[in-house]
Amino acid sequence: MKQVNLTVNGKAVSALVEPRTHLADFLREQRLLTGTNIGCEQGVCGACTLMVDGVPTRSCIVYAVACEGAEVRSIEDFDHDPVMTQLRAAFSAEHALQCGYCTPGMLATARDIVTRLPDADEERIRQELSGNLCRCTGYVGLVRAISRVLDERRNLAVA
Amino acid sequence: MTTASDRSSRKGIGASLTRKEDDRFLRGQGNYVGNIRLAGMRDLAFVRSPVAHGRILEIEKPAGREGDVYTIDDLAGVRPILAASGLPGFKRSEQPVLAREKVRHVGEMIAMCIADTRAEAEDLAGETYVDFDELPAVVDMLAGREPGAALLHEHWGDNVFLETHIDADLEDIKARAAIHVHRRLRTARQSMAPMEGRGVVAYWDKRLAQLVVYTSAQMPHINRTGLAECLGLDEGSVRVISPDVGGGFGYKGILLPEEVCVAWLAMHLGHPVRWIEDRREQLVANTNCREHHYDIHAYADRDGRLLAVDCEAHVDSGAYSSYPFSACLEAAQVASILPGPYKMERYRCRTWSVATNKPPILPYRGVARTGVCYAIETIMDAVAAEAGLEPYEVRLRNLVLPQEMPYDNITHKHFDSGDYPEAVRRAVRAIDLPAVRERQRRGEADGRLIGFGLAVFCEQSAHGTSVYHGWGIPMVPGREPAGLRLTPDGILEVRAGVHSHGQSMETTLAQIANEVLGIDPQRVRVVLGDTGTTPYSTGTWGSRSIVMAGSAVGRGCKELRERLLHVGAWLLGEPLDAVRWEEGGVAGTSGRFELAELTRIWYLQPQRLPVDVHVGGLEVHTTYQAQRDSGAFSYACHAVVVAVDPELGKTEILDYAIVEDGGVLINPMVVDGQVYGGTAQGIGTALYEEMAYSEEGQPLASTLADYILPGATEVPSIRIEHMESPAPYTEFGQKGIGESGAIGSAAALASAVNDALKPLGAEVSRMPLSPRAVLEALARSEAATAARAQPEEAFV
Repeated sequence: MKQVNLTVNGKAVSALVEPRTHLADFLREQRLLTGTNIGCEQGVCGACTLMVDGVPTRSCIVYAVACEGAEVRSIEDFDHDPVMTQLRAAFSAEHALQCGYCTPGMLATARDIVTRLPDADEERIRQELSGNLCRCTGYVGLVRAISRVLDERRNLAVA
Repeated sequence: MTTASDRSSRKGIGASLTRKEDDRFLRGQGNYVGNIRLAGMRDLAFVRSPVAHGRILEIEKPAGREGDVYTIDDLAGVRPILAASGLPGFKRSEQPVLAREKVRHVGEMIAMCIADTRAEAEDLAGETYVDFDELPAVVDMLAGREPGAALLHEHWGDNVFLETHIDADLEDIKARAAIHVHRRLRTARQSMAPMEGRGVVAYWDKRLAQLVVYTSAQMPHINRTGLAECLGLDEGSVRVISPDVGGGFGYKGILLPEEVCVAWLAMHLGHPVRWIEDRREQLVANTNCREHHYDIHAYADRDGRLLAVDCEAHVDSGAYSSYPFSACLEAAQVASILPGPYKMERYRCRTWSVATNKPPILPYRGVARTGVCYAIETIMDAVAAEAGLEPYEVRLRNLVLPQEMPYDNITHKHFDSGDYPEAVRRAVRAIDLPAVRERQRRGEADGRLIGFGLAVFCEQSAHGTSVYHGWGIPMVPGREPAGLRLTPDGILEVRAGVHSHGQSMETTLAQIANEVLGIDPQRVRVVLGDTGTTPYSTGTWGSRSIVMAGSAVGRGCKELRERLLHVGAWLLGEPLDAVRWEEGGVAGTSGRFELAELTRIWYLQPQRLPVDVHVGGLEVHTTYQAQRDSGAFSYACHAVVVAVDPELGKTEILDYAIVEDGGVLINPMVVDGQVYGGTAQGIGTALYEEMAYSEEGQPLASTLADYILPGATEVPSIRIEHMESPAPYTEFGQKGIGESGAIGSAAALASAVNDALKPLGAEVSRMPLSPRAVLEALARSEAATAARAQPEEAFV
């Protein structure tokens, strides 16, 4: 066991962890934050994507002990985030989720796209989404939802 | 229609209502089985076979931890899983929940290890030593039928679960057919790969003397029946709860050996036990699907009209017969639906379900239809080429016509409604075929080849009792139940035994309630997935839930409406025929009562009602069975344009159009989502996904880096156009379309890729049409051309 100190969803956390425990397991098993879903534990499917120091990160291939001093934000921390509020409404309106399992990771990536790439077109959105697999939607609703939020934000900026 | 349904139509049938279930998923509050935390819960890991076929000589448990490792010898009284097809000649395979004496596929479970964490349980599994006498493996279904092949189940004498025949004398047709075409086609074994794997958490409830099993399952009632059988419990002693399910697609329609193991251990140890499948277990060890081989002939007249189809089909069923669908549903389906939506004079088909040293199969979305559609559409393209016709023209000449509906086809399928040729015409228009052909003639600057493909099919959804009985599966669905209850404050609780793993049943069942009762869908609480609270059902699969459960809920709501009218009429002091249901309440000439007033009076102020007002109460249990149980037939035409790079073998989808008829759509947004998602899966089937095996039976795709699922850059924007032929035999005219997208897409893409390769004389005869398969086909074609050219060169 090894001591690690980090911030999880705005709260300072000190915990003893096994060196082999990845961040997703740490959050789910020790912090009971089960909103981060695990899909492949190999960094391929993107289901476990969350924010570490403001950057979308696959929590299944980051060891918890490597997060010393890091600021971790999982899906549970975004209820008062205006961008996430917009994305959630757009995901629902465009039917961008079915079983919901990839959704928290998709939202993390989608939030990154709309904040980092305000001018992204459909092709760019698809490229940026290519690290997040969805088995239900065929990505149609996902691409539309992200486009919709980008449009809304552009219109807001113009206004 | 009534005024009530008109006024409430924005939330009822036909409304693209946003989903009730979205909120919890969007906030990370979905409750999948892996999220369940119980006090004292410990984790399980399995020792799985590293060899495909072998005898177990010795199992050595880790020294000092023997008590934490269990083999089949420790599981006293646990019965093997047995899924016997009812079809004559079926050979039974008993699947012990942990291997006994022999292993028959890589990943088969040999022992289970319990520890405080999964990581520690895996350590124990790694320290458990198993010695094998390795046997030759049967890896290919055709080779498995050869004399001298190794035997999986020695007492069978061969490796064939079941052989079926539909016989016909084709000699006269062969003599008069101007066109005879023949293809040998192969589809890849696939993994269904839902984003969430399987998982089980179980504990023994001491108060109720009941085993409680949380499991990620599509048909919890069937799992309960199976668990009771294997564990020797009565069904009352078992409660199965399937919470949120992160995708099913057929992968979770099974009684798992893991479920039996976890449940037994929870009872044995007296504390909760958990097993969560990881992706490697899913890909290496657990069920696959869809590996078919077709040797298919078609005979047609010179105008391309089909005379006969003759086929020998093999299905690779893997090592065991899965519970409840059995090893032979797939092949039985092949034989009965291969003729597709076409008319023909004669039909012959033989099928073999072959046991191989690979994991068992399960019916994946579309089941056999995806392979069948690929086979029949490939042969229709071949007929078109011989007849010198556009492929769509050959379809139009052979499809069942709208004026022939309802139509009983050559295998006695009762096509209930629709205009199949119109779907083809619209799809061809949507894709602008003349422009595509012109572009093909012009050629591409980058040297890529353009191809156009299409596939048309009909999908028998919500098959009834007689159909499933005919396919021999041991679990035959019958009447579909629903339980409905109004609360004193006017909330409608709907309990259905089907489940939802993305299909949006919480929303669509509430829309049906809204249609009948005018109740706001937000005031409808849909309860699914719990055998303790929902009526017995065979669950969600086979595009059946919206037809079966949707109709049951509709009937239940009508019964409640009737009872509420009685109550309202009495309160208004008017005769029953003077009051009507309107805008969610009872309206008469002298006034109205809202739903919540009626419920409050019924439950809490019974003194206001006479004793005999309508004693049935505000809780009903209804069952639904269609007027005839031959299924509701949806249908579609997929049309696609691709560009194939002849240097790299890579295929890009340029345009994709679908014309779809799902009858009356309960929620068009949800329907489109199902079609998009199914089509994306079909794109995976056609171009990317392959669960390959080495000659020793070792799986060659053990991660999502080897087993390629289509991503956002592989799936194009897809256009969907709807037609609407209401199903004549269902409650609201709805048809099931949950599998539709996955059926036609693979065939349409194969047709398109081969259309692109046609100028080079190449044709790919297998799925996936991967870059490698395309390049191999091109190489074969070049070799054939060279061989043909050689004598001439020699002569010169």
